[in-house]
Amino acid sequence: MLWRFFAAKGVQYALVLLFAVTLNFALPRMMPGSPLVFLAGEDVGFMTEAQRAQLYSAFGLDRPVWRQYAIYLGNLARGDLGHSFQQGRPVVEIILSRLRWTVLLVGISLLLATLIGIAWGTAAAWRRGRPLDLASLGGAMLLESTPSFWLAMIFIAVFAAGRGWFPVFGAMTPGAGLSGPAWIFDVAWHLVLPLATLTLVTIPGMFLIMRYSLLTVLGEQYISTARSKGVAERRIMFRHAMRNALLPVSTVFMLNLGYIVSGATVIETVFSYPGLGRLLFEAVLARDYPVLQGTFFIVTVSVILANIAADLVYPLIDPRVRHAR
Amino acid sequence: MAEAGTSRVREAGGAPVTALRHRVRLGSVGAVGLALLAILVAAGALAPWIVPYDPEVTTGDPFEPPSRAHLLGTNDVGQDLLSELIYGVRISLTIGFLAAVVAISIGTVIGMVAGYFGGWVDAALMRLVDVVLVVPFLPLMLLLAAYLGPSFWNIILVIGILVWARPARVIRAQVLSLTSLDFIDAARALGASPGRILRRHVLPGVLSLSLAQFILAASNAILIEASLSFLGLGDPTAKSWGSTLYYAQVRSAFLSGTWKWWVLPPGLLITAAVLGFAFTGFALEETLNPRLRR
Repeated sequence: MLWRFFAAKGVQYALVLLFAVTLNFALPRMMPGSPLVFLAGEDVGFMTEAQRAQLYSAFGLDRPVWRQYAIYLGNLARGDLGHSFQQGRPVVEIILSRLRWTVLLVGISLLLATLIGIAWGTAAAWRRGRPLDLASLGGAMLLESTPSFWLAMIFIAVFAAGRGWFPVFGAMTPGAGLSGPAWIFDVAWHLVLPLATLTLVTIPGMFLIMRYSLLTVLGEQYISTARSKGVAERRIMFRHAMRNALLPVSTVFMLNLGYIVSGATVIETVFSYPGLGRLLFEAVLARDYPVLQGTFFIVTVSVILANIAADLVYPLIDPRVRHAR
Repeated sequence: MAEAGTSRVREAGGAPVTALRHRVRLGSVGAVGLALLAILVAAGALAPWIVPYDPEVTTGDPFEPPSRAHLLGTNDVGQDLLSELIYGVRISLTIGFLAAVVAISIGTVIGMVAGYFGGWVDAALMRLVDVVLVVPFLPLMLLLAAYLGPSFWNIILVIGILVWARPARVIRAQVLSLTSLDFIDAARALGASPGRILRRHVLPGVLSLSLAQFILAASNAILIEASLSFLGLGDPTAKSWGSTLYYAQVRSAFLSGTWKWWVLPPGLLITAAVLGFAFTGFALEETLNPRLRR
């Protein structure tokens, strides 16, 4: 039944959310020393006893743990993720100003990597066991073993600093005051190298799944039936096999999202690209705990939302889920 | 998103050589992997005797290009880069190995308990696996590492507790097929306790598979350690390949010609180590995992 599918998924995502929220709540309180250091910053050491006590009760730290948790959840529900130690601004504000860059980078590269991975995987499965297939497999494994941040550094060295074809850092030319098509071109120009890096390291996963999935489907009996009926090999591949082989790819598309966001973290760091990944890195350097926790929370929520979107689409493309009982 | 489909695909993701069995002997893939590992382990073990200089001591000018005296040049404080990289083998392989030990220990126990007891225990543990697989791992890892503080053991712990999920799933599947066999029923009928059955009868059956998973986890762990060190969260007392790249990044090595000897070699070494473990692991998994054999 369809509702059971959604119920199971709902429970799973609720658990992930619970895990992220509880971890964020527990970490500052579990560490040795005063939790104030993690909640209000290092300045706590310079405060008077009275100031510290006031802050202590302001964060609700003098109440029982379950009350603290309730207060924490209440704040979270109102969109309060605390204040940045470094900038003093609300964490939510900082994250929202960075979110669009990561969505742009991750969104486009996920799309590109999937399309390329599907095409490449199909080509390899078509020539299974032949030189093209084996070379593809080797290439995919090599690419998957390459550290993405290193690839990013090499790209900058060769194409940005070396040839000067692309900018070395950032998401747009600072202070250029561009607008309209010129602005779009500027943003796209800055996006090329980070996008190429992230797409390259994402392709192998998609390629391997597509190839494996297609080979599995090609071994099924309905394919033999089609073949014995005299259906052309090309038609078997594109009309009969690919349709079913694409199903697991759509699943992995979403499962990979967590990995891709992780890849984006290091790549954005190398390119000084102002997304959430770079924000994480800056927060780690400054030990800005509220920003670190807030970003982790928002990234987790985004991954869950993307998964839910995929789940809503899935019954539309897989009739077995739609009609299962 | 059918559960069976998901797990099949995840396993496929780990076993891209599956269809190779038709044409190519898996042995050659495994042999390449083992050879890569053997070279690296030998370099790490013999490091004190084969390095030209002490990597902690300034033996040249800063940013020296490769020369007879310094085959891979020097870093920003004039330390010999080749020596630094040879010693880096030790850190990367040790952390990869130990983190994989942690991950596989957790994964094997959870997979065995889930597969053997079934029912709500299985359901609960598998939900836990799903949670770990969905949470974006690098942000979580950065969060944990920042709180725990960067140190040798903390890195191992953080990687270990985030990499166990896939092994747990694979081992659970193996236990499920094992426990349907008669000799487990026989042991149960003879009154053996679950603990004894798991230790004496189930564990030997999953050990070989755990080994393959262990090697894949090590390959994963090396890549993660490099990322953490590159982001400045590595062990501050030791220089791994990731931290060499961290310093290269901080000093903007890619903006000058220094990248050719400062950035290129450590990345190639990371790739070689990861690939060495991955090849070995895939070849082993292919030979040992009955679900991939036909």
